[in-house]
Amino acid sequence: MGLIVHLHVASGYSLRYGAASPAALAGRAAALGMETLALTDRDGLYGAVRHVRACRDAGLGAALGADLRLGPEGGDRVVVLAEGRAGWRSLCRLVTAAHAAGERGHPFVTREVIADHAEGLVVLLGPASDVGRAVAARRPDLAARRLAAWRAAAETVIEIVDHHDRGDGHRAARMLALAREAGVAAVLGNAVRYLEAADHPVAQVLDAARRLAPLDRRHLDDRTGQSYLKSPPEMRRVAEGVAGPGAGGLLDATRRLSERCVLDPADLGMDGVHLPAVEGDPHAGLVARCADGLARRGLEGSRAAADRLATELGVIARKGLAAYFLTVADAAALIRERGIRCAIRGSGAGSLVNHLLGIGDLDPLRHDLLMERFLADSREGLPDIDLDVESARRLEAYEALFARFGADGTACVSMMETYRARSALRDVGAALGLPPHEIDVVAKAFPQIRASQIGAALEELPELRQSGLATARLEVLFRIAERLDGLPRHIAMHPCGVLLSDATLRDRTPVETSAVGFPMSQFDKDDVEAMGLLKLDVIGVRMQSAMAHAVAEAARASGAEIDLEAVPRDDPATFELIRTSRTLGCFQIESPGQRELIGRLQPRDLGDLVIDISLFRPGPVNSDMVSPFLAARAGTREPEYPHPDLEPVLRESLGVVVFHEQVLRIFDVMTGCGLSKAEAARRNLNHEQGQAVVGAWFRERALARGYDGPSVERVWRTLTAFGAFGFCKAHAASFALPTYQSAWLKRHHTAAFYAGVLTHDPGMYPKRVILDDARHFGVPILPLDVNRSAAAWHAEPVSRGGPSGIRVALSEVRGISDAEVGRIVEGRPYASLTDFWRRARVSRPVAERLVLAGGFDALYRDPPVPRRDLLCRVGALHRTGRADRAVPEGQLPLGSPEGLDLAEDVPLGELPPMTAAEIVEAELDVLGMDVSRHVLTFYDGLLGDLGVVRAGALPGRPDRSEVLVAGVKVATQTPAVRSGQRVIFATLDDGSGPVDLTFFESVQERCAATVFGSWLLVARGRLRRAGERAFSITATACWDLAALHEVWRRDGLDEVRAVMARPGPVARPVGRRIVQPTGFAMSRYSDIGPAGPAVRRPPPARLWHASRGSSG
Amino acid sequence: MTRVFGDPVDVWVSDGRPVRFVWRGRLHTVRRVLEHWVTTRDWWQERPDGEATGEREFWRVEATPDREVGVYELRYDGASETWLLSRVWD
Repeated sequence: MGLIVHLHVASGYSLRYGAASPAALAGRAAALGMETLALTDRDGLYGAVRHVRACRDAGLGAALGADLRLGPEGGDRVVVLAEGRAGWRSLCRLVTAAHAAGERGHPFVTREVIADHAEGLVVLLGPASDVGRAVAARRPDLAARRLAAWRAAAETVIEIVDHHDRGDGHRAARMLALAREAGVAAVLGNAVRYLEAADHPVAQVLDAARRLAPLDRRHLDDRTGQSYLKSPPEMRRVAEGVAGPGAGGLLDATRRLSERCVLDPADLGMDGVHLPAVEGDPHAGLVARCADGLARRGLEGSRAAADRLATELGVIARKGLAAYFLTVADAAALIRERGIRCAIRGSGAGSLVNHLLGIGDLDPLRHDLLMERFLADSREGLPDIDLDVESARRLEAYEALFARFGADGTACVSMMETYRARSALRDVGAALGLPPHEIDVVAKAFPQIRASQIGAALEELPELRQSGLATARLEVLFRIAERLDGLPRHIAMHPCGVLLSDATLRDRTPVETSAVGFPMSQFDKDDVEAMGLLKLDVIGVRMQSAMAHAVAEAARASGAEIDLEAVPRDDPATFELIRTSRTLGCFQIESPGQRELIGRLQPRDLGDLVIDISLFRPGPVNSDMVSPFLAARAGTREPEYPHPDLEPVLRESLGVVVFHEQVLRIFDVMTGCGLSKAEAARRNLNHEQGQAVVGAWFRERALARGYDGPSVERVWRTLTAFGAFGFCKAHAASFALPTYQSAWLKRHHTAAFYAGVLTHDPGMYPKRVILDDARHFGVPILPLDVNRSAAAWHAEPVSRGGPSGIRVALSEVRGISDAEVGRIVEGRPYASLTDFWRRARVSRPVAERLVLAGGFDALYRDPPVPRRDLLCRVGALHRTGRADRAVPEGQLPLGSPEGLDLAEDVPLGELPPMTAAEIVEAELDVLGMDVSRHVLTFYDGLLGDLGVVRAGALPGRPDRSEVLVAGVKVATQTPAVRSGQRVIFATLDDGSGPVDLTFFESVQERCAATVFGSWLLVARGRLRRAGERAFSITATACWDLAALHEVWRRDGLDEVRAVMARPGPVARPVGRRIVQPTGFAMSRYSDIGPAGPAVRRPPPARLWHASRGSSG
Repeated sequence: MTRVFGDPVDVWVSDGRPVRFVWRGRLHTVRRVLEHWVTTRDWWQERPDGEATGEREFWRVEATPDREVGVYELRYDGASETWLLSRVWD
């Protein structure tokens, strides 16, 4: 019989060290016939909850501990294991203390700190411990002294490990001898890092990545490939190799320790819900607050409200959740008290209790929202309440919560970033010693897929097939990178989760400090749910910040007092704007697909926006709900109801199932099951197995209630087609409001709206597209000016009392720091460049960029001084400043402050002024956007020769006609579509508006590499009309504009035509389809970030600028 | 003194370790394993068309062909699945 436990095991949650998931380790341990498995990850308990659940699923006893660095320097480590509830508490607090002791990312413990948390902990001293090092160095005296000190600090055992490196066996034998002499128990471990021996290359790559060193035997922890989860017979052989006849005793001691350390989920606190303490009887308090709410909301006399409230309070009482609601109400009030815009989102908007407590502003009764989607007897766990706040003030909201609930009872939730294709290629590439530039090219050639898809993508994606990457030389890179798939690589603060609990929170979760300084639990959102902790999602929404900024700017520039919540929600002018699809910058409705849908749907009121938002989802698109709805809406088809009884339920959406709430009601009408049961049935539609169970139940109940067979089948088909997609109406309704509000601002306070959107960047497009949109709406773009530009974009009257333009913000200048922006604004006005240099004290590169982007043009208008001259002067000032600093302290520099200019004689007017093309190039480089004119204007000559059609002229072209278009690529998407193809949607901007292109798989062999790789594109395609104003182009070919321009300049138009006439390669399908339980196919490459560099900022000029001096 | 060889040998393995081997026609019985270590291959240096360097396993053992005990180092090459006698101390 061999060892039936592993006590020293690192999973992938030991970042850049372990190579297996907790679930895989538990599965393998069970398969090997083990009884107990410990997880002792390095420096954290990130995997603890997953380990406990995995062991429970695999029928294993779970033990927990941590492998902690000893002291701030060096590589010594000890393992601590937790025994019982007290041990878990000590372990959590010890790990927290380790992170508090070291710099962020470098936690460590000392023997003293462990002694402070010794209750319930057992210390394992292995070869990596200070005792192990002394033994290896043949210092038995030192080893014995250190061991004695450990025994005085905590319960201590010696851990024997033999990884069969040279000398390992002898060292292990000496450790065993030391334990015997000192009378300390010795146990056997294997310091596991991966599942099986063949996984060792992954661990070796992680060793190199952790050290930021290339792969080399000297940099490896693992040189022998023995750190795998060895089987009981293999462990027995290790024991025999080290201990000889003493092997049995070693194994027995190991087993005895493991039995003591098996933890029950209850020891961790997983058996209950841990809510913050509330004074008095929480339920009585909640009832009283709701009664107040009825009065405040004017719902006292409403019978419906009273009934609904009684139902909701009943569920809350049965689940014991009163304290939860009171806490969340408290939190929402705290955030609003600080003047932060705060709105409820998601299913919580369907609860009357939330409305009465002031958590949400939507009245669920008026909007016909159901509470069961949020809160029902059939739902397990805590309900989820999400609050949307201004993104720029999210951390301020957190601070309010920490102040109210106490640093001990509050923590942010963390999330693990895991290896995906690009990150895996980068780390493995570096480990293999590839040049950084080559690594960058390879990584960016891939779309943002999983690492495990690398090999498949190389074969299936045309843009990769044509990249020439699939060479034998890179084969090992791709093979190893695939194996890093899904391994954790970085811990980060969850973007919105906050834990609210009482002072015992630190007994139940280890805490470290996040990058921005908040206490952060090492558990992620799934873990905290399993641990019964209350998580409030406080979500930073950029559009809320953009709207807050717009409101402030409207007030500043024109004195308009706007209360967005009080704005009438039926403004005809706003809906007229929405119906034109010119909705760039608006919340939710700016994407190409949404602009097309809006164009077809022609929304007339807020209800239409709710439906629009719900329809624009993979579910409705996959189950083709959009076309019947639009047909019924346009009046070309009568609404069809699967059964007359369902007409009241489906009337609002003309017979199409759009909302989760409608699914609940359909179940209820057809089976009489009640809405709580219906909600359980809806959740089961998510997966195939659940669908079968629900289907049988539904048919039986519906038939029993007298519905005829064909009707029942028809309704069931509708429900399954709808699947678990669709949308929660409460959620859509809470999204429709900011959608409308943003459109209202765009229509009525246009300049302020753009100032808000450009400052907070809430959307999907690069800012230069928003800027161009502003131009089309007639908003003057006011250039960068050191005397006028502020930190944020401002609305600024062009003339006294006249319409407002928008002023480029200082923070757009590449590389400028907040401190520099602050000093520039503080020191205004500036009389000269010298004055600015002296008082604003910005770095030389920033001063040069300000000059290049025209920040001083207004100061040097009369007489005009070219930017190049000013640039020389920055250099002179910089050199003079350095000379000044050489002056000994206490001695005044020679010359007057203004005399700085005299330090070096810079003759003015000798350098040529910058051309229009150079100015745009500088603007793109410094600000990331073309301010003075559109970058495409420099290609007008070629585009005119080719007969390229501008976006603004496309509506005049007949449907199905073939056109050539051109522009700057501003977005590429590969959303899931009904056919299961990978369809590439690309949006070009040509200075007259957006052009939306669709590339189907049939043309991707010739187009994909260009679409993803180029910034400026020419495309040929067929115009497709989708509605009154909506149109898009089905592309058949595309080219890099800069490349064509080069041919045009060099060889003339005929050669350009010849290049464009070349046939493309033969089309191939792009990968296999994934077939969903609902029967609809999906591309494996849909809904992922595309290949190529990010499009939010333009690439360096060398990658797009055709040639200098070619300006039109 | 140490002598270095690279002679192929036939080795009998039981329960994961060598127990007997034949070298130069003589049967040697392993009395005791003195040391056992392994090395992984330098897979990152391998050329795609080159020869793989296999994982290697070393056993330093006390063994005897008759009464006289010597120390022998046996090397097992994982890629070619062959045993060599790499060194002898006598």
